[in-house]
Amino acid sequence: MAELLFIAVALLLGLSALAGALGVSLLGGKFLEGAARQPELVPLLRSQFFIVVGLVDAVPMIGVGMALYMLFAG
Amino acid sequence: MSQDQGKRIESTGLASGSGRDKQRKRFAMVCFRVLLLQLLITSLLALALMFRDFVTAYSAFIGGLLYLLPTGWFSLRVLIKNTARSPREILANIYMSETGKVFLAVALFTLVFMLVEPLNAAALFVTYILLQITGWYLQLKLNHRFLKL
Repeated sequence: MAELLFIAVALLLGLSALAGALGVSLLGGKFLEGAARQPELVPLLRSQFFIVVGLVDAVPMIGVGMALYMLFAG
Repeated sequence: MSQDQGKRIESTGLASGSGRDKQRKRFAMVCFRVLLLQLLITSLLALALMFRDFVTAYSAFIGGLLYLLPTGWFSLRVLIKNTARSPREILANIYMSETGKVFLAVALFTLVFMLVEPLNAAALFVTYILLQITGWYLQLKLNHRFLKL
C-alpha cells in the first residue's frame, strides 16, 4: 500500500511540475516575442505576464499541496 | 504634451522612464491591495469558523497563510525589488521569483504537515483553493486594463 502512495505522490508532484513548467515557459516565450515586436509595450506586457503567471501556477500548486499532505499526513 | 495625453499614453503602456516606474508602482499598489483583501477574507473566515471549532479555524487560517506568504514574496520580488529594464532581465527575474515561490510553498506545506497537530486538512485546502480563486477574480477585476485586451 505504501508503494502505491509513493507512486501517487510522485505522479502528482511530477505532473504538477510539468504543467507549471510548460505553462510558464510558453508564457515567457510569448512575452519575449511580444517585447521584440513592440518594445514600447514592455511595461504593459510585464503586468499581464505577472497576472497570468498567477493563473497558470495555481492548479499545480494545489496539486503539490495535496501530494505533500498525502506524503506527510496520510 | 498635455496631461491628458500623458495619462492616455501611460494607460496604454507606452510610457517610458519615470512614467514606467510610476506605472509599475501603481500596479504594485493594486497587487498589494489584492493581497490585503485576501488576508481580510482569511481572517474573517477563521473568525467565523472559530464558533464551530478551534482546530478548523486555525487550519483555515494556516491555509490562507500558505497562499499569502509565497505570493506576497513573489509580488515583492517582481514588483518592488526589481530594477530590470530589458525584457530578458525581466523574464529572468520573474522565473527566479517563481522558482523561489514554489520552493517556499513546498517548504511551508511540509513544515505545516509535519509540525501542526491536530490539523483539519479539508479546511486548510478549502481556504487555499478559495484564495486562489479570489486571487484570479480580484486581479482581473482590479486590473481593468487586462479586460480590454
